Amino acid sequence: MATQTLPTDPAAPHVPGVAPSAGAPRRDREPGRGRRWLLGVWSTLAILFLVAPILFMIVFSFNDNQGRFNFEWRGFTLKHWADPFANADLAKALENSLLIAVLSTVVATAMGTLLAIALVRHRFRGRTPTDFFVFLPMASPEVVMGASLLAMFLVLGVGTGFGTILVAHIMFSISYVVVTVKSRLEGMDPHIEEAAKDLGAGEVSTFFRVTLPTIAPGVAAAAVLAFALSIDDYIVTSFNAGQTQTFPLYIFGATKQGVPPQVNVLSTMLLILVLGLMLLNVVVQRRLAARDRAARA
Amino acid sequence: MREDDARAQSALEQAMDDQVLTGRTSRRRFVGRSAGAALMATGLASVLSACGITGTATKNVEQLEQEAADVRHPKVPIGNWTFSNWPLYMDKSVLTAFNRKYGGKVKYVEDINDNNDFFGKVRQQLTQDKPIGRDIVVLTDPMASRWVRSGFVTPYDFRNVPNRDNLVSTLQSISYDPKRQFTLPFQSGAIGIGYDIRATGRELTSMKEFFNPEFKGKCTMLAEPYDSASSVLIMQGKNPANATIDDMLGAVEFIADAAGKGQFRRFTGNDYTTDLTKGNVELVMAYSGDMVQLQADNPNLRFAYPEEGAVLFTDNLMLPANVAHPYAAETMLNYLYEPDVAAKLCAYINYISPVSGIREILEKSDPDIAKNELIFPTDEIRERLKVYPSLSTIEEQRMYEAMAKVTGA
Amino acid sequence: MSLSRRRKMLPWWFALPGLLWLIVFFAVPILNQVSVSLMSGDPEKGYELTWSFATYWDAIRDYHAQFTRSFGYAGAATLIDFVIAFPLAYFIAYKAGRFKGLWLLLVILPFFVSQVMRTASWQLILNDQGWLVARMQDVGIVADDGRFLATGKAVIFGISYNFLPFMVLPIYATLDRIDRRLIEAASDLYCSRWTAFRKVTLPLAVPGIFAGSLLVFIPACGDYINSSILGSSNTTMIGNVIQSKFLNILDYPTAAALSFILMGVILLGIAIYGRVLGTKNLTELAG
Repeated sequence: MATQTLPTDPAAPHVPGVAPSAGAPRRDREPGRGRRWLLGVWSTLAILFLVAPILFMIVFSFNDNQGRFNFEWRGFTLKHWADPFANADLAKALENSLLIAVLSTVVATAMGTLLAIALVRHRFRGRTPTDFFVFLPMASPEVVMGASLLAMFLVLGVGTGFGTILVAHIMFSISYVVVTVKSRLEGMDPHIEEAAKDLGAGEVSTFFRVTLPTIAPGVAAAAVLAFALSIDDYIVTSFNAGQTQTFPLYIFGATKQGVPPQVNVLSTMLLILVLGLMLLNVVVQRRLAARDRAARA
Repeated sequence: MREDDARAQSALEQAMDDQVLTGRTSRRRFVGRSAGAALMATGLASVLSACGITGTATKNVEQLEQEAADVRHPKVPIGNWTFSNWPLYMDKSVLTAFNRKYGGKVKYVEDINDNNDFFGKVRQQLTQDKPIGRDIVVLTDPMASRWVRSGFVTPYDFRNVPNRDNLVSTLQSISYDPKRQFTLPFQSGAIGIGYDIRATGRELTSMKEFFNPEFKGKCTMLAEPYDSASSVLIMQGKNPANATIDDMLGAVEFIADAAGKGQFRRFTGNDYTTDLTKGNVELVMAYSGDMVQLQADNPNLRFAYPEEGAVLFTDNLMLPANVAHPYAAETMLNYLYEPDVAAKLCAYINYISPVSGIREILEKSDPDIAKNELIFPTDEIRERLKVYPSLSTIEEQRMYEAMAKVTGA
Repeated sequence: MSLSRRRKMLPWWFALPGLLWLIVFFAVPILNQVSVSLMSGDPEKGYELTWSFATYWDAIRDYHAQFTRSFGYAGAATLIDFVIAFPLAYFIAYKAGRFKGLWLLLVILPFFVSQVMRTASWQLILNDQGWLVARMQDVGIVADDGRFLATGKAVIFGISYNFLPFMVLPIYATLDRIDRRLIEAASDLYCSRWTAFRKVTLPLAVPGIFAGSLLVFIPACGDYINSSILGSSNTTMIGNVIQSKFLNILDYPTAAALSFILMGVILLGIAIYGRVLGTKNLTELAG
């Protein structure tokens, strides 16, 4: 069945090496050919919409521009790629951004995951208000969070800089982590944990051996989200950055004076790095799944 | 303040412990407790703001000038010090050369994207008379004026900046700092008419073109009222340098009338550059330095100093109040005023340099730049350049409020 | 400490670090801003707490147009994103086969390029002479004057673009979790795929749609980057006003008051929306 539909399906993504999926669920009464085709086209267009400005940005990293601005196509060059770190401040800003993103992701994911577990697994008093409270940061405009946090740091005499950016990023990431992990936990059968406890496992070992492995995909998704929120934050960061430059701050400043093509180059490199890491993750997971299947067979 | 913080935290932990230890409490009791915690948080917050928000009350100018006359910054080793500037506003080799020549190490940060944004970030330290961790900042005239009249600056020691004699005569005095005791110009630029000659089909020379129905919906206006309203005043034959707040509000009103009829496609900051290069508009109110850069990619783009005259804005080097390394900062000021260094900088930035005698140097090294009217305006043009008005903080707020109504924010 | 007592404390130990962080770095600063919103004064003399609630009324009177516009744009963008995202999420969940991961990767790709950079790219692509604007003119989205940028449509376009992944991901997550046997059983019973979709798949996807709508709508209401890059003076949103009050006009009380009005309306809206979609506990569904 799957072998008949998938490869001939014009909606299938045009990726080299498309092979029929052995694991595709069996479906009765496939919708008409036309409708399936439409769905594929729609999805492809939607993805094109999402990546169009990114492609545009990559193309202009090869632009042979003459002045400070990089708006008009003046011919192909590799000169910006030859020396991507030519602009030391830009490189430093990227380094800061990456470091802040990694640190805030680790801390926010840890705190948020624990908080989500407490909220879903335990019927403690004060759960509903806590639930609501955790949700509030997501409903607050960023400019409010940024400005009020700065006001507090100033009153307490805390100098703004790398540390305060980190604190702020952890703050606004926690809620997103909680929400993402919670949805995974809610989809999980609580009886598994109970069974583990009935079988004599303690709280701690149940947590590490049962709960955590089950929600791992949710935690991973939350971590990706936290990383993405941090690496692209402009508004909150701009208030609490002091003299520390981050990548988005640099870009925003540069849009006023002309964005140097190295920004395009470094953005593209960052994208390739992230892409590589995620593909690696996909490959590893597929390997693991294959080994699993082999072990079961 | 920290103690309060700690106390509130421990009280909160206490509340949580109580909650847990007493086991089954009624729901109502819990609600009471969480309300208590919320009150505690409110209490902490009100401690934070009990003192209100300090204003930027104006200092006594005579007192400041007295301080300036007495200022003395002895020579010390340069050490590590900080220079805050706008992005892409410095030839980095100048900094390396400085470090090599004078020792020490300059931490150069490009963290000023916008005068108001930057002020918003350091305002509280300044009003509380605390150092802001920077030894030189670069601010545009109106903001520089605000800092001087609020006493947020440290006067520099003339003895350490002998090269200040190289400052061009037209900039040696400015309303907010008549003796240049607190500020020293870094670069200047003019606000004028930017246009695409292919689209307009003719040369434009007058500010009136911005209000010409021919360009309805095909031109942009600057959102910064100091820039746009001052330009309109010049068009109306007034000198913005001695304009009052009412003159400025009148000019804003004039812009508002045209905006109401759909004359301007957008109000912009520097981002008019995309609209002009992409052909969305034919005419933009532009900064001269941007146009030099745009022309490098598109020779059809033109910049004209309006025949009525143009606003000359200056970005100023300043030492903030409670500066930690005044001698290092003054040494840099002096270095930037060496004609060779200034020439190098000018060739890189393409704005109008305030240092005299560099044109001769550039005629040899970079004749294109020396010939460019946008970088070296002729004497005839220089006479038509006017500076911003000086307004009080409250007047400024009124002007910004009026302009925000026009730009929709 | 007895075992049962330790077990009762456990949720607090789990919740404590994150909760404390949010209290110290979110609740306290925000409550501080509440007191700022009740201050009065001017930037030269400073602002003092005078419990001036009038600021709130003045803010609503002066800026109701920007509020309406913000909610209108955010609502339109949420709707557009739903229309784009649902088929895409459905496709990825059920039809993408082993390339699911790749498709999802493409969906989150934009997260890793700065929003300012992407929006600025759109500004260049969507110029009046551009190919895309000409095509949009062909289908009647763009008026005859050929102008798309600096209009409300461009701002809605930008917002829809920037927050689209936030709609796709939660819908995908709920669709992916639906037990396929349910759908198969339903299509056996109802004999029509469309009915099965309408009666089974769609209702089961409601939590995802709800979450996606919130994740798009809320940040969209406070956004000002799209409006300032793609819009014009008659497309400004409340975020632009708050921004300019904070940084240009230095009218901190009004800025704070506007922020809390915005937060209040958003929370109220979510509560009503949750009711309409028939959810008992709105925060439970926010995931």
